[in-house]
Amino acid sequence: MKIEGSYTIKAPRARLFALMIDPAILQRCMPGCEALEETGEHAYNVKLKAGVGSIKGLFSGAIKLSDVRAPEHYQMNVDGKGAPGFLKGVGTLALSEAGEDTVINYAGDVSVGGTLASVGQRMIQSTAKMMAGQFFAALDAEMQAILKAEETGEPYTPPKQGILRNTFRQLSK
Amino acid sequence: MIPTNFEYFAPATIEEALQLLDQHGEDAKLLSGGQSLIPVLKLRLAAPTAIIDIGRIAALKQISVSGDTIRIGANATHADIARHAELKQHCPLLGETAAQIGDQQVRNRGTIGGSLTHADPAADWPAAILALDAEIVARSSQGERVIKATDFFVDVMTSAVQPNEIVTEIRVAKPAQPQAAVYLKVPQAASGFALVGVAAQLTLNNGKCEAASIGVTGLGPKAFRATTLEAALRGQALDDSTVSAAAAKADAETADALEDIHASGDYRRHLARVYAKRAVQAAAARA
Amino acid sequence: MSFLAKYIGQKVKRTEDPRLIQGIGHYVDDIKLADTLHVVILRSPYAHARINAINTDAAKRVPGVVAVYTGADVAGKVGNVPCAMAHPELKVPAFGVLAQTKVFFVGHPVAAVVAQNKYQARDAADLIDVDYEPLDVVSDGEKAAQPDSPVIHEEFGTNIALVHNAGVGDIDAAFAQADKIVTQRLVHQRLAPISIEPRGVLAQYFPGEHQLNLWSSTQIPHLMRTQVSLMLGMPENRVRVVTPEVGGGFGCKLNVYAEEALLGWIAMQLHKPVKWIEGRRENFQATIHGRGQTGTVQVAVKNDGTLLGLKYDVIADIGAYHQLLTPAIPTLTGLMLSGCYKIPAISMKCTEVFTNKMSTDAYRGAGRPEATYLVERLMDCVARELNMDPVELRRKNFPQPDEFPFTTACGVIYDSGDYEKALSKALTIADYQKLRDEQKAARAAGRVMGIGVSTYVEICAMGPSAAMPAGGWESATIRVEPTGKVTVLTGVSPHGQGEETAFAQIVGDMLGIDMNDVLVVHGDTAVVQYGIGTFGSRGLAVGGAALVCATEKVVKKAKKLAAHLLGADEASLTFEDGKFVGAPDDKSLTIQEVALAAHTAASLPEDFEPGLTATHFFEPKNFTFPSGTHICVVEIDRETGELEIKRYIAVDDCGNQINPLIVAGQVHGGIAQGLAQALFEEVVYDENGQLLTGELMDYAVPKAHQLPRYELDHTVTPTPVNPLGAKGVGEAGTIGSTPAVANAVIDALAPFGVKHVDLPLRPEKLWRMMHN
Repeated sequence: MKIEGSYTIKAPRARLFALMIDPAILQRCMPGCEALEETGEHAYNVKLKAGVGSIKGLFSGAIKLSDVRAPEHYQMNVDGKGAPGFLKGVGTLALSEAGEDTVINYAGDVSVGGTLASVGQRMIQSTAKMMAGQFFAALDAEMQAILKAEETGEPYTPPKQGILRNTFRQLSK
Repeated sequence: MIPTNFEYFAPATIEEALQLLDQHGEDAKLLSGGQSLIPVLKLRLAAPTAIIDIGRIAALKQISVSGDTIRIGANATHADIARHAELKQHCPLLGETAAQIGDQQVRNRGTIGGSLTHADPAADWPAAILALDAEIVARSSQGERVIKATDFFVDVMTSAVQPNEIVTEIRVAKPAQPQAAVYLKVPQAASGFALVGVAAQLTLNNGKCEAASIGVTGLGPKAFRATTLEAALRGQALDDSTVSAAAAKADAETADALEDIHASGDYRRHLARVYAKRAVQAAAARA
Repeated sequence: MSFLAKYIGQKVKRTEDPRLIQGIGHYVDDIKLADTLHVVILRSPYAHARINAINTDAAKRVPGVVAVYTGADVAGKVGNVPCAMAHPELKVPAFGVLAQTKVFFVGHPVAAVVAQNKYQARDAADLIDVDYEPLDVVSDGEKAAQPDSPVIHEEFGTNIALVHNAGVGDIDAAFAQADKIVTQRLVHQRLAPISIEPRGVLAQYFPGEHQLNLWSSTQIPHLMRTQVSLMLGMPENRVRVVTPEVGGGFGCKLNVYAEEALLGWIAMQLHKPVKWIEGRRENFQATIHGRGQTGTVQVAVKNDGTLLGLKYDVIADIGAYHQLLTPAIPTLTGLMLSGCYKIPAISMKCTEVFTNKMSTDAYRGAGRPEATYLVERLMDCVARELNMDPVELRRKNFPQPDEFPFTTACGVIYDSGDYEKALSKALTIADYQKLRDEQKAARAAGRVMGIGVSTYVEICAMGPSAAMPAGGWESATIRVEPTGKVTVLTGVSPHGQGEETAFAQIVGDMLGIDMNDVLVVHGDTAVVQYGIGTFGSRGLAVGGAALVCATEKVVKKAKKLAAHLLGADEASLTFEDGKFVGAPDDKSLTIQEVALAAHTAASLPEDFEPGLTATHFFEPKNFTFPSGTHICVVEIDRETGELEIKRYIAVDDCGNQINPLIVAGQVHGGIAQGLAQALFEEVVYDENGQLLTGELMDYAVPKAHQLPRYELDHTVTPTPVNPLGAKGVGEAGTIGSTPAVANAVIDALAPFGVKHVDLPLRPEKLWRMMHN
């Protein structure tokens, strides 16, 4: 299943890219991420409590970033499984500058199996998009908090993250 | 059904239910008619540790019409709404929508509050609720808030209802021209959910469309108001070419159309346009 | 044989129904034995993967869990899932009851968890950690047959399980003489049988007696007993299979699945009863599917419409393994490629291929709907090509009533038939010419209306033993008890067909007794003599025939005793309305009086065995060939492709009808399923072998509000094959209806230049046909 979209964040590209490969930030921004453990360069094991609406499941899996070309590109491979089924995905993220903004274009291919595949088909695409949106909204919030701290000289306080919060953040864009 | 373990509560009052909800937090799920939750539990796509059955709270089942306002308790079943005589008179769109949900067994159990909160992108209620510009009342232990229908559907399977809230009531202002309304849908052959459903509520004056309110479900990740279409009708005489041209924009608000084995995104878009046209024409003809 | 027609031919309400309607019948899950343990099967979420490791530790620690078994536990201890087709070239992969080193389809059983309740078992199953290494998936039948396809069963080096050639006649000469050759590729999609009651097994073992009892929701209790005993190495007579109420089968329970032997084995390990009830998702994944053929048909024809020959080159996507009859089903298609027409030369090449999917097997119609669909679709294609009315083309090629028995180029002999009679009747009911006029007017007005005709013949009453994989006869025992009540033990295993009623009607009339005095017992191998079961529209035509013969034997025996008791000459007695009459002084004896005398045995003729009972094993000489005409009228929404069935007419000929109410019920249900194949149903796997139609949310079984009113009638052409003259009607509706609906839809789309659309005819497809 193909998934693609884009998200615009008001931030310098290089700064944003640095955040996007920072495991601490990834853990905070990934919707429902409960644990993230580094297993190698740009490779992580993760535990996610992910879902949509009343559907929710625990997933464990591996994320690996490859073809990392700062500050513009990386490929992400995801391999996860949980009680509702398994998913496997590969996608690319490309960052381009647009004035003061950075545009993130993402495109990927996700395949799912198990219960998810046989009952969730019609919603998988929109759920994946929604989760991508939540991720970027969270990333945006992190970025803005950091930039604001730099600007004001005040200590950086990480923004509160959460699936609902980021859904609304995403919507209010 | 073999769900995971959960504790079952059957509070008698809303207050009690809210207290339980606060106590159990995100691990709790509300059960009303069970037509959305039970399948999810059966498939183990959710594993709540507490089920709070609000289906026995009688206060949530009331339907009343007073003054200009229609109030429907969240626990009113689709069947209750479909056969309610006063609703038929003051807002027939509600009963017409209710009667097209699922099958009789589903209508006998399923509730309007449950369906709305679940926010299935192909559910029938959202179209009508949007077209009627309804308000959804949600209560938490902190108090009550009123959510406009247009703010209620957030994303796929996501409504504006917070985990500590219970939808208690749906409020609809009596339409000026109750008869000038219709809900039309193309059911998915297996589930009966809407491949596309269009609800229209019109206000006509001297053959011209003073206001059109159109809700579309099934097409995108969430139901929406077809505002571009509505704007194109406003102030116009509803002749064939005007309606057709306006209805061609029925899908303008959706960037991503749903796709599955039953229908492609393109076909869903096409159905939305055709059924928007038919809905407007049918509503106008009934006025 | 002549019958008193007090019951036979009457619309007698089914005696089964009161208990079923009240919900007080007993299905497998209603049987409760003390200390029963519950089994949940863990199934593969992958279509093709290597199992590198299975860790069951966490599962075993769940409170209430008694045991967890994997492939390693059953290897060498439980035999493989059986396939009944013996063919020297057939490739038969070893299908263990639990997966060994690989999984081959989504739903493949990987482990069995046994616990005190099903909730514990399910929780534990979720905790089993299987390390799967995904392998290349073969999900498309046509691609599976290509030489560059990944191979599913490495031991064979190919995915081709069998190439089956059939047909007689000089096919090349036929095509050489043709004025026209009409070619069409057809897809016969996979379907899920969907019985309302899924499968279920309860197993109980008595170690002292070395006795295994199995309750199973099956159509074939005796065949299952034989196969399970072989799989478990148990003496057959120490296995008892009981079939309580069965909530629908449609062919999917004409099988022996992994779970029956697995549950039996577990009961023998644990010495406790164990129960497994299939869930709906499991039912979609791991109960057989039907159909699944993709092929090209070619018809050679003269310009005047005379059919010369038919070729069918087809790939049957049979799934990963053979179930009981998997490879045999596509061969049944080859028996019926002549349809109800004279076609001098026919040839079929059927390539059966393995794919990473659940097996296909018998689903209502089993191989014949495929044949009827392709023949009837092609008749319309030919008519279109020749610019003939499709009805006239059909008529022209019918064998005439005096040409029966009619031997086809598929090598079968049609017993009897009058195809014109049913066709004319259906055309009259439909007012065909008027419909065509309406269609003209509708088209002129821009409406999209179509009329579809299907004249079908099918093969039933399975069947002569020589043509069957495991015997085609059927058995019946009749006992007139001392009180005059009659007990019938039948080898068929009804599961919705209403034979408890129909058989009581037959015995009631033959013995001149109240049909309510007849009890029909079935589905318990410890009580009923060996039988073959219920499938292939055989219950009445073979099982009922056995009962007629057994009843005749009992009457003959009773007559001997009656003559003795009445002091009459046996030859002078006649049996009328339940009484032996014709004795001196107008003395007579009822069958009940004779039965009592046979049991008290105070005065018996010489060499007369006490009791009044008889058994008959009936071997049919041929199949039967029911036929009929279905006509469907549709209108399609030009803007959206949505379809409405305006009329549906069916005139079926199933020979003599014992109970027209049951016949109508069978026709109703059959049409519903055939129509659903035309419009709604399809098992969809994606390219990764994931089952996308895994629930009733996405798999569209027909619902009452989606079906039209049926206009039904019938003709009666009795069969000479059995004493009842009944042909069978269990599958006719399914077989006749699919092409009638498809032909109507494609007829409607003719103005758009559409010559064919593959099933199911979803609105979007039709919309695209009209707008692309």
